[in-house]
Amino acid sequence: MKNKGWKRILYYIVVALLLLVMMFPFFWITVTSFKPSEEIFGSTALRVFAVHPTLDNYRTVIDKGILNSVKNSLIVSLSTTAYVVAVSSLSAYVLARCRFRGKTFLMSLILGISMFPQMIIVGPIFNMFYKLNLLNSYGVTFAYSSITLPAAVWIMVAHFKRIPVSLEEAAHIDGCSMWQTLWRVIFPVALPGVFTTAIMTFIASWNEYLLTFTLNADKAFQTVPVAINALRTQFSILWGEITAATVIVIVPTLIIVLLFQKQIVSGMMAGAVKE
Amino acid sequence: MTKRRITAGQFAFLVPLLLLIAVFALYPIICSVVYSFFDYRTNDQTAAGLYTSTSFNARLFAEDCGYIAYYLDDEITLLDGADKAELEAVSADAGAMENTYRDTAKIGRLSPAEEEKLGRFIDDTVARINLVYDKNQGVSFYNRDKIGVIADEMRSCIIKSNFTGFAAYEALLRDTRFFDSLGHTVLFTAVSVALELVLGMVLALIMNRAMRGIGAVRTTALVPWAIPTAVSALMWSYMYDGGSGVIAHMFASLGLISSPEVMLLSANGAMAAAILADVWKTTPYMALLLLAGLQIIDRGLYESAKVDGAGPVRTFFSMTLPMLKPSMLVALLFRTLDAFRVFDLITVLTGGGPGGATETLSIYAYKVMIGQSNYGYGAVIVIAMVLFVAAIAFLFIKVLGTELISDD
Repeated sequence: MKNKGWKRILYYIVVALLLLVMMFPFFWITVTSFKPSEEIFGSTALRVFAVHPTLDNYRTVIDKGILNSVKNSLIVSLSTTAYVVAVSSLSAYVLARCRFRGKTFLMSLILGISMFPQMIIVGPIFNMFYKLNLLNSYGVTFAYSSITLPAAVWIMVAHFKRIPVSLEEAAHIDGCSMWQTLWRVIFPVALPGVFTTAIMTFIASWNEYLLTFTLNADKAFQTVPVAINALRTQFSILWGEITAATVIVIVPTLIIVLLFQKQIVSGMMAGAVKE
Repeated sequence: MTKRRITAGQFAFLVPLLLLIAVFALYPIICSVVYSFFDYRTNDQTAAGLYTSTSFNARLFAEDCGYIAYYLDDEITLLDGADKAELEAVSADAGAMENTYRDTAKIGRLSPAEEEKLGRFIDDTVARINLVYDKNQGVSFYNRDKIGVIADEMRSCIIKSNFTGFAAYEALLRDTRFFDSLGHTVLFTAVSVALELVLGMVLALIMNRAMRGIGAVRTTALVPWAIPTAVSALMWSYMYDGGSGVIAHMFASLGLISSPEVMLLSANGAMAAAILADVWKTTPYMALLLLAGLQIIDRGLYESAKVDGAGPVRTFFSMTLPMLKPSMLVALLFRTLDAFRVFDLITVLTGGGPGGATETLSIYAYKVMIGQSNYGYGAVIVIAMVLFVAAIAFLFIKVLGTELISDD
């Protein structure tokens, strides 16, 4: 069995390499964020650890209001998640359970919208928000529906379909209305699916760039991905601050991934795997 | 089971979804299609709306008439006799015009007869004033230049229809910048998706083995996918930086590039940089989708293959790959469409540069539409993109047989 031992070692080397490649950027960003700016440039640029580690970069970006954009991101992402989950569970229940004319068309439409280049809605949405005086506001959350809702409906339909129909039949015999059946019987059973949808919607809104970039030029309403890039154009190459801001905004993502990896993986699979 | 009409109760559950889709997806899409038939540019007042017939900016016109009368009153003080009377008459005519249109709604339609009448009025006024000016060469008038400016503005109040039909689509076919960005988009999409498929497959096959440490790999794989693209692009732009970038220096010392600055400042380097950053971010996603496909393959089949004496390579190509095809096609379709509309990554990393070498269709469309406020032509570029996306989806669904909707 000597051969198998070698195979095992080779396998672990490959795994270690993969981990290294995937994690290296995060590692490098983190070590840079503790370097004073004179160590980031010039001959010391490629030294791994700072000779004189400092928290100055963090202080500066916090002074520049990075936490305000984290707050904006939270407000926008949480409200998007709330209404998208509500709307998608209502409609996905009907789409998963009932058969009616036009259903395939509706499902294809939803799928089609998720495939469309986002750019097609940007111009008209900008005009719409301009006319409604919604530029530079949290109103951007409604525009997020066009990117988050199709996927949310898709994930929810996949989950509802897995719930045995017998549950509803029992509820129906007991005299529950459709609303009661959904709220009292199906929803509790479907909670894991609801949760998955919520996580996926949250991540998608948290990561959204194009719409906020276009609609919220005002720094006071910018979300994290936009604000952090504004840091670069304003102060062209202050990598220390940029890396510190990056670390600050990546931490919430890391926590979400560690806590909810099961839901995330199941959300990715919805619709993507033929069972 | 036969299909019925939808009941009112069922429909009520769908209403919020339908409303949101209608307002924030369908309406904007229809708008974009409409925009594409107009020369619609919001930074030019003669093209800042969708005018199917000649329109008239009455309020601005009335204001201009007022200015004409006002400026002429200055000139009148310098003259006497017939010229004075003539300018007084012109001023009175302009004042009358001002009164006619002062209270009209801002922008309205203009009938051909009215258009001609107003056009003639402007020409006449300018001609009469200039005649007086020319006759009195010795007099230094106050407002000669201003009258000319105002006359031009009056002409721009008559707004010609900016409906152009398919003219902008024809222009697109002659637009080399469009074909350049199409080329960049196709190159970026093809190379990054191909790399992601191969690397993702390797990663999926590794993750599919029940070995110690696999959980950590799976968790780690989610992280690049989960962080915002705009943030990861920024991270990479630091690592590609010619001065302080660790990756740029690493590639330079490996001899892949001639010097660290080349990474983002040369056409090929920037494209490679964008592709590499995309591969890093989305390979794990591809791997997880493929892994899910691998996991529904019956383990017993592997045993049988082993008993039949098939080696690992043979097993992979004759059994795993065909069984994985449905999940693989779906993953490929999603990734291809995603890569085709790439915006965040490249806009942050290179902004489409250097010299437009990484400008993709999304970036070109955005620059035209939002950067230059040219909504008409921007919409044309976007609609061309949609046609390509539809062609890609058609290819996957009809030709390769990708199943997306199963109505059981």
